[in-house]
Amino acid sequence: MPAGLMATAPVRHIPDEADLARMHRERSERIRGVLRKQGIDALVLLGNTNVAYAAGAVWPLADSGRANFEQPVAVVVADDEVPHLFSPVRDDEQLRAELPADHLHGPVYLDFDEGVQKFAEQLAALVPSRPVVAIDEWTNAMRRETSILFAGDAPVDGGKVISRCKLTKTPDELACMRAGLEITERAIAQVQARIAPGVRQTDLTATFLRTIFDAGADANILDPIWQVMPPRMADGPWTTTGDLACPLLSTERELVEGDVLWVDTGVSYAGFHSDFGRTWIVGREPDARQRAQFDRWRAIMDAVLEVTRAGATAGDLTAAAVAAAGGVKPWMPHFYLGHGLGIDSAEMPYVGSDIGEAFDASLVLSAGMVLVLEPIVWDDGAAGYRAEEVVLITEDGWEPMTDYPYDPF
Amino acid sequence: MTTTEILPDDAVLRAARRARVLAAMEAADVDVLVLGREANARYVSGTPRLWTAGSRAFGPGCVVVRATGAVHLLSTWDEGVPDEIPHDHLYGITFNTTNFVTVLSGIEGAAAARTVATDGLTPGFAQLLPMAFPSATLVDGEQMLARTRAVKTPEEVEAIRASVGHAERALAAAEAALVPGVTERQLTGVFMQAMATGGITTPAGQDVAWITSRTSPWQRTSRDTPVAEGDLVAFEAGVVAGGYAGELTRTHRVGADGTDGDDTRDEPSDADLSRRQHELWERLVAACRPGAPASALLDAYDGAGLPAPPVPVARGLGLGFDLPLVTHALPRTAADQPLEAGMVLVLTAWVWQEGVGARFDQEPLVITPAGPELLSTHPFRATPR
Repeated sequence: MPAGLMATAPVRHIPDEADLARMHRERSERIRGVLRKQGIDALVLLGNTNVAYAAGAVWPLADSGRANFEQPVAVVVADDEVPHLFSPVRDDEQLRAELPADHLHGPVYLDFDEGVQKFAEQLAALVPSRPVVAIDEWTNAMRRETSILFAGDAPVDGGKVISRCKLTKTPDELACMRAGLEITERAIAQVQARIAPGVRQTDLTATFLRTIFDAGADANILDPIWQVMPPRMADGPWTTTGDLACPLLSTERELVEGDVLWVDTGVSYAGFHSDFGRTWIVGREPDARQRAQFDRWRAIMDAVLEVTRAGATAGDLTAAAVAAAGGVKPWMPHFYLGHGLGIDSAEMPYVGSDIGEAFDASLVLSAGMVLVLEPIVWDDGAAGYRAEEVVLITEDGWEPMTDYPYDPF
Repeated sequence: MTTTEILPDDAVLRAARRARVLAAMEAADVDVLVLGREANARYVSGTPRLWTAGSRAFGPGCVVVRATGAVHLLSTWDEGVPDEIPHDHLYGITFNTTNFVTVLSGIEGAAAARTVATDGLTPGFAQLLPMAFPSATLVDGEQMLARTRAVKTPEEVEAIRASVGHAERALAAAEAALVPGVTERQLTGVFMQAMATGGITTPAGQDVAWITSRTSPWQRTSRDTPVAEGDLVAFEAGVVAGGYAGELTRTHRVGADGTDGDDTRDEPSDADLSRRQHELWERLVAACRPGAPASALLDAYDGAGLPAPPVPVARGLGLGFDLPLVTHALPRTAADQPLEAGMVLVLTAWVWQEGVGARFDQEPLVITPAGPELLSTHPFRATPR
């Protein structure tokens, strides 16, 4: 069985330990640098992951519906190196060490006019009069607040500020990401040991959820996918693209010998998301046709990695993948060949998405970006092979961030 | 019940919810509703989609057109999509916002729509939506949806009761694992494992266990601190099953044998805490009457001589977050919000004492014309038995 990616390339740029205080300081400098450049006085962030990035706050992410009322809010003031956090979540020793008491505020309720009015008063006390405010998203109640949030025209796009800052990762951030990916791989090893006929998909989820928390994860971020792939595409659900339906939700369906499982999971650790993908076969060794699928997948992955380096464009990667796949795009049309990973499970840079080929040609990779590469090989009649690898872009190439073996291939 | 395939929500549930939304659109003269929040999309579409943790920025995940009654849904495949949403009303995942404009402007009724309501907005979609709906004014759709969703149909109440049952069974496993030395993070793992073994893979929250603090009402040391004998440990048990959140919170004092010490063995100060929580609970239940202002629940704390809790006194349960939200931070909102029969709440009984910790229990209940009906059967010491 082939070992993981780290058997083929050394790890050189990812430190073992993160210095969290330095990580937060450097982020603050990046964010405020963009604010100053764009003439923004205050950045107001509601999106959970944007808040985690800007305020360095880590909390166990809740269901998206619950997240609407339990919503931490971050405020970055351009001339204050420490961010403000308005949070309904219990604070802990680490957060109290990072944020002084006068920057840690109680919860705000931005779905309610009364809550927005209170927040506007608090915000006004932190910023100069008539400030230029950037916001990543807003509730309708916020839209009605015209004294500070919508005093002028529409506010500046605050989400773009964070997108720009998070595009490349610092060494401390890479250390956190690698730790989260390791937690995921440890949990996955426990799950893979359970794969057998008669085991339910939800049993695999049970093992995964137990082991990620035991291994130190802060939260699960995605209802884990253990999709049983149909041999023929036409046997799967109808799709808008006429292509594969994936990822499909897990149920209490029992695994059957010979099932081809496409696995996709991720966890949250230290504010970063991990990503994991493999193909497993239930209760059987892969047959010759399945091994050939894997060999083709490896050839595609190798071809993409061959051209992956700072200065390459996303278009260089897609071209290498298409050439290695014999002229077809070896990825699902509703997704991509690859995507960025960081505080979000999928973030810029997107490689081979429906943003289009012109975009791919213009997107230049730079050192410090983290890419998840997820080509597929579909072999109609015998399902196919899909796996994901996470790599760090370096000046002279790339470096592995994942190291899970390809067993049973 | 064992679930081995992904199915749409029950037809009766779907029809009732959709009819309510269309009636609300009619009353508010909204032509098109563009929904980003998963709970709103689920309410009108009845379609289970992939669960991901954390908030999501607004995007057009579901579109409702009043004139045709049509629901258009962001879904690349038809698994779990009910028959009333045909294939040509599905649009796929896209990373290209221009494609959203194309999809939205192609929806029958988009060009003529005068009023388009959204449940949130981002700077990007604030610019794009006017391109898709050139004749329309953008208005608030969230208040309309929140009011519509606040009062449950009988089928919804049963769905929430079932979710509470799932949460209770996973909670029991976590409670059984409460022994000195275990950490909050490990207890959360035990809860999650039991939840998924029970067939539900989606939690409402992922901060299940908390060693309440003796020095501050709302802090923790770290999630890796081992539980010690005498600690008051709160379990916030919540799952999302069939889209509906079922939640309850229970606090236990860690005994030497890992079991909750009964009243007679409690330290005096904890017995005092339990007594005050009991008194508070009786006041909260008495305030939970249809027609009463939600602020009566805030008054229950004042009446019991207790400070405001660090979490809302009550919040609605449903598909995620529902009205009412009752917190001392929003007194006017609470005063203006009447409690109504059919609302489902999680009610918070919170007491804290320096040097002891907190007793933090939350009880899911439905308001009936006769008063509150508890949705949980899991033992709660403040409930007289």
